[in-house]
Amino acid sequence: MTNKMSGNSRDHSLFDAELSGAVLNMHLLGRLVRWLKPYRLGLIVSTALVLIASYAAVVMEVLISRVLVDYIIVGKTDSPMPDMGMIELTMWVERQTGLSSLNAAGLLFFIVMVVFSLAGHWHRLTLTSAIVKGLRDLRQDLFAHMETRPSSFYDKVPVGRVMTRVTNDIEALFEMLRGVGSLIGEFVPFFVALAVMFSTSVKLTLLLLALVPVVGVATYFFRRSSREVFRRVRNSVSSLNQNLQESLSGIQVVQLSGREDKNLGEYTALNKENRRQEYRSVNLATFYGAFNDSLTAIGLGLIIWFGAGEVVQDEMTLGGVILFTRFMGMLFTPVVTLGEQLNVLFRAMASGERIFQALDWDEQIHEPVSPVTLPPRIKGKIEFRGVSFDYEVGNPILQDVSFVVMPGEKLAIVGPTGSGKSTLIKLLGRFYDFPDGMLFLDDVDINHLHSRDVRSRVGVVLQDFHIFSGTILDNILLGDPTITRDMAITAAKTVNAHGFISSLRDGYDTLLQERGTNLSQGERQLLAFARVLAADPEVLVLDEATASIDTETERLIQDGLEKLMVDRTAILIAHRLQTIQQANKILVLQSGKVIEYGTQQELLELKGLYQTLHELQFQDLKTVPN
Amino acid sequence: MKNYRAQTYLGFLGFFAARFFEVSTYFLVSEGIDLIDGSPDGHLGSLTIAQIVLGIVLCVLMRFLVVSFARRAIRRVGIAVSFDLRQMLYKSVLRQGPGFFAKISVGDVMTRAIQDISLIHRAIAFGLMAIVIMIFAPLFGVSAMLLKSTSLTLLIVPLLPVIFIYALRMANEMGRSSREVQERLSELSSHTQENLSGIRTIQAQVQEDNEIKRFWSTNDDYANAFYEQARITSLMSAWMPFFASVAQLIIILYGGHQVMTGQISIGDLVFFFACLGMLLQPIRMAGMLVMLLQRAAVATDRLYEIYDAEPEISDSPSGQAPPNIQGAFNLKNASYTYPGAAKPALRDINIQIVAGESIAIVGRIGSGKSTLLKLFTRMIDTPDACLYIDGHDVNDYPLSQLRQQVSQVLQDPFLFGEPLYSNISYDDPERNLELVWDAAEAASLRGSIDDFPMKMHTIVGERGVTLSGGQKQRAALARGLIRHAPVLILDDCFSSVDTETEEHILSGLKGLRAGKTTILVSHRISTLRHSDRIVVLEAGEIVEIGSHEALLSLDGAYAQLERAQTLGDEPVAVPG
Repeated sequence: MTNKMSGNSRDHSLFDAELSGAVLNMHLLGRLVRWLKPYRLGLIVSTALVLIASYAAVVMEVLISRVLVDYIIVGKTDSPMPDMGMIELTMWVERQTGLSSLNAAGLLFFIVMVVFSLAGHWHRLTLTSAIVKGLRDLRQDLFAHMETRPSSFYDKVPVGRVMTRVTNDIEALFEMLRGVGSLIGEFVPFFVALAVMFSTSVKLTLLLLALVPVVGVATYFFRRSSREVFRRVRNSVSSLNQNLQESLSGIQVVQLSGREDKNLGEYTALNKENRRQEYRSVNLATFYGAFNDSLTAIGLGLIIWFGAGEVVQDEMTLGGVILFTRFMGMLFTPVVTLGEQLNVLFRAMASGERIFQALDWDEQIHEPVSPVTLPPRIKGKIEFRGVSFDYEVGNPILQDVSFVVMPGEKLAIVGPTGSGKSTLIKLLGRFYDFPDGMLFLDDVDINHLHSRDVRSRVGVVLQDFHIFSGTILDNILLGDPTITRDMAITAAKTVNAHGFISSLRDGYDTLLQERGTNLSQGERQLLAFARVLAADPEVLVLDEATASIDTETERLIQDGLEKLMVDRTAILIAHRLQTIQQANKILVLQSGKVIEYGTQQELLELKGLYQTLHELQFQDLKTVPN
Repeated sequence: MKNYRAQTYLGFLGFFAARFFEVSTYFLVSEGIDLIDGSPDGHLGSLTIAQIVLGIVLCVLMRFLVVSFARRAIRRVGIAVSFDLRQMLYKSVLRQGPGFFAKISVGDVMTRAIQDISLIHRAIAFGLMAIVIMIFAPLFGVSAMLLKSTSLTLLIVPLLPVIFIYALRMANEMGRSSREVQERLSELSSHTQENLSGIRTIQAQVQEDNEIKRFWSTNDDYANAFYEQARITSLMSAWMPFFASVAQLIIILYGGHQVMTGQISIGDLVFFFACLGMLLQPIRMAGMLVMLLQRAAVATDRLYEIYDAEPEISDSPSGQAPPNIQGAFNLKNASYTYPGAAKPALRDINIQIVAGESIAIVGRIGSGKSTLLKLFTRMIDTPDACLYIDGHDVNDYPLSQLRQQVSQVLQDPFLFGEPLYSNISYDDPERNLELVWDAAEAASLRGSIDDFPMKMHTIVGERGVTLSGGQKQRAALARGLIRHAPVLILDDCFSSVDTETEEHILSGLKGLRAGKTTILVSHRISTLRHSDRIVVLEAGEIVEIGSHEALLSLDGAYAQLERAQTLGDEPVAVPG
């Protein structure tokens, strides 16, 4: 069987590698558009609204300078400054309402202001709504994608890495959204204002624009040096916190070792370093802030000085000068905001790359094109025929493994750590594709079955059995709507889990903490039994936990296991003698090969590895049972 | 805060001066405009344009200087205060016992150290600055405006409180929504984390579709919270300019009228527009500010809860106790009840331990084993007259001496993120490396350390090499052994060590600990039986005490345990 999707040949370290992190990756933005498409109407409306709002913002200023000052107060009708139709509109309002020109202009101002506020608000809402929904869908798709990656992927890539993609990386895009919103809200008015300023006085506009690069350069240098300074501040804060965290977690060791004074000394040194770095960052930020404020004021000086000459020569009107003073602020803010948002933008680009890399990771289990359907209830016969498997090329885990488990039979698999026991049951659960050999479930090649179908027939209790946060009942049902509460309780009673569950304050409705930390190891095992019994698979596969369990619970577990195996084919990876004794047959694995197979009695008489293991483990034993 | 009074006042002064120069700038601009208009109102006599521009530049420069100075001063005060707060916190928590940490968990202390202190920092650096601006800006702004036109000023001023109240309300809303976003975000993270950790179970149980559906609601909740926050922020950005525009409208209508009737000049009109900006700026921040101060007040309370906590273990040695502990213990009717617990953890314990004896303690979880051990090193507040060491009450010994001469290895093998040798020689970092190796040898750790490329300098813990459970326990054991203390206490510290290695360590210990007192807790008969005497605890009381053989012939709880374990019930890891 060919399987080019197999995880073995992939280089998983790529998932961890640094990505290029280009400033503006057009390809990336192009791909993002796919998720925004369903919400394009919102984006179009939003763009229209921001244009209206920006236009209104400029009109408000024109009303003050051109209409109020030049036309109404000074009485100038012709001026190089565009009035954007406002003078005519003011006269029209005067005629319609009989108001004075001043009041008519005031009324117009009020209307434009309302338009400005509403359009701005709706622009921000529609924009945010569209992008938030797009990013939400992207996150959902990413999650669904990661949820269906095979075991071969999760063997190589730590869960934490995958989690960062779904949380932090998408979050970086959300962060960018905030920035993009404010950038648009500042750049669009900037250009509209610029157009009006140019038509008022080209020379003065150019003069002021000359200041923009100064702000730009200052912003650039500030951002560059502050990146370094803030990195140091962050580092010093994190070592400070790490130190505190460690001292606290190990407080008993600290106190028992009499290390209080020494630790305080270390902490003080770190704290001082942090203070030093914080001081440096303050110096930098203060200087930059004050510098920018001052440039705005210098701009004001320029306007008065230059404007005075122009007005005297009738090149500009008084209203024009006032207009310039009012637009000053609009000139610099986009540059400053851009500086602020650049880091966010960088981060978002890098995150975007990581997100799409994850989405493009197409590793999966090879599913048959037209899967065979199993009958509603299968007999539970299992056959391994010449199965070989490796996780990495050249390091075989299973070699030519063949055996048959008849329906209802119980097989115990024993062998040293690394002999391939766990791999064996993972293949049976269809968690991996395997290149060599065949595996049959009720005489059907499992490569002809859909992996989900196999898994619903083969109930696997893994060693690192997972508890979901939720109630005990949730953990038994696992979202299966066909299981009733009563069925779950019956299952728990059968496997001896009812005892500890009913002793909990809220019984089956007790909320379990993540990873079940409020349950003991033994209780978790019983709960896993209840879960499997409720799901009622035809084949049971158990990878027994090695951790120590108190004697009483151990007895409950063994009894529960016995009941769980009734009418079921079972494969047990056993670490305890008692578990082995529950099996009909024992299979001994060593270095991926079957070396012994038979009943316990037969294997003991064989005097091979099983007998050695038996003696090693149970050397304290005074009498061998049976 | 008190220590930085001078710096704070200087900062205030700086802001005061800054406002003065700001108003002056606007004043000069307005004069300039009037001059252009050709109708100077004579406030400043007859100035030329050049003089006005020079004045503006000067004012700007001055403002630049004082603002930089003031901001820097106040921000430095914030940093210095948070430095002090951290030092106080560290000093305080180092002396705290388990009672304190039961009340305020380690995570909680961390949150206070990180978030609360940074809140106070911001409240000082930003809040203080904003308050000062909020006071000085209207002070200068309004008085300058009054100078120009009383009636116009009186029309505008009533608007200010309205804006202030609105800003306050919005700040509350914004705080609420941003907390909501944070909560949803952490929910999203824990949901993802939990789900991915269980990915194998999920796939084994064919739960992928269910989980993807379940994720949708968490995902959507977050998106909605994010949108809601953006909506409130946007509302604020819509209303604030609207309010400002209402004030501008007043200036247009009434001010315009005044200009036309010749009461004020055009320059004055522009001056009003400029001052309006100066007035509104701090009011916009007012809401955030009030909230920041409120939260800082809560943060301060939470921090003082730590600062004010008295260490529950008092260290008041009588001075009568001998400087060297021999290792004879006498427990007389020792009882202990944890604060807030209904039942006592220990009840009327009487044991006499001779110096040099080895004692083992066994019992179920919750039978009081660990509590009993904690009495010996006073990790809990041991009551008077219940435990005597070499004939002196344990409370008569200085705490430092007690903990130095009674070496205790804890159940949880905590290692610091430092090199192995500093972990083993934790009590004395200057100790000779040879001695560290000896201790590692005694704990059967030499082989494992030799396998690490960096040997003793291998960094362990989260950022370094991950040790197995057994290796961790043996490193912690080495840390306890290195002190060669007259008394050694081992609290179930072999649970992850395989039986064979444990056997090896214990037989080595017999030689090392000859003539010294050793007390150990274990569940394994194979460990217990090496001791001179075994104490069986049940529900805080001693039920059996005696040697291995004596207890077996007693045929009680101990004998029952022995039978259960030798029948093969005791799990044994498959050797690999």
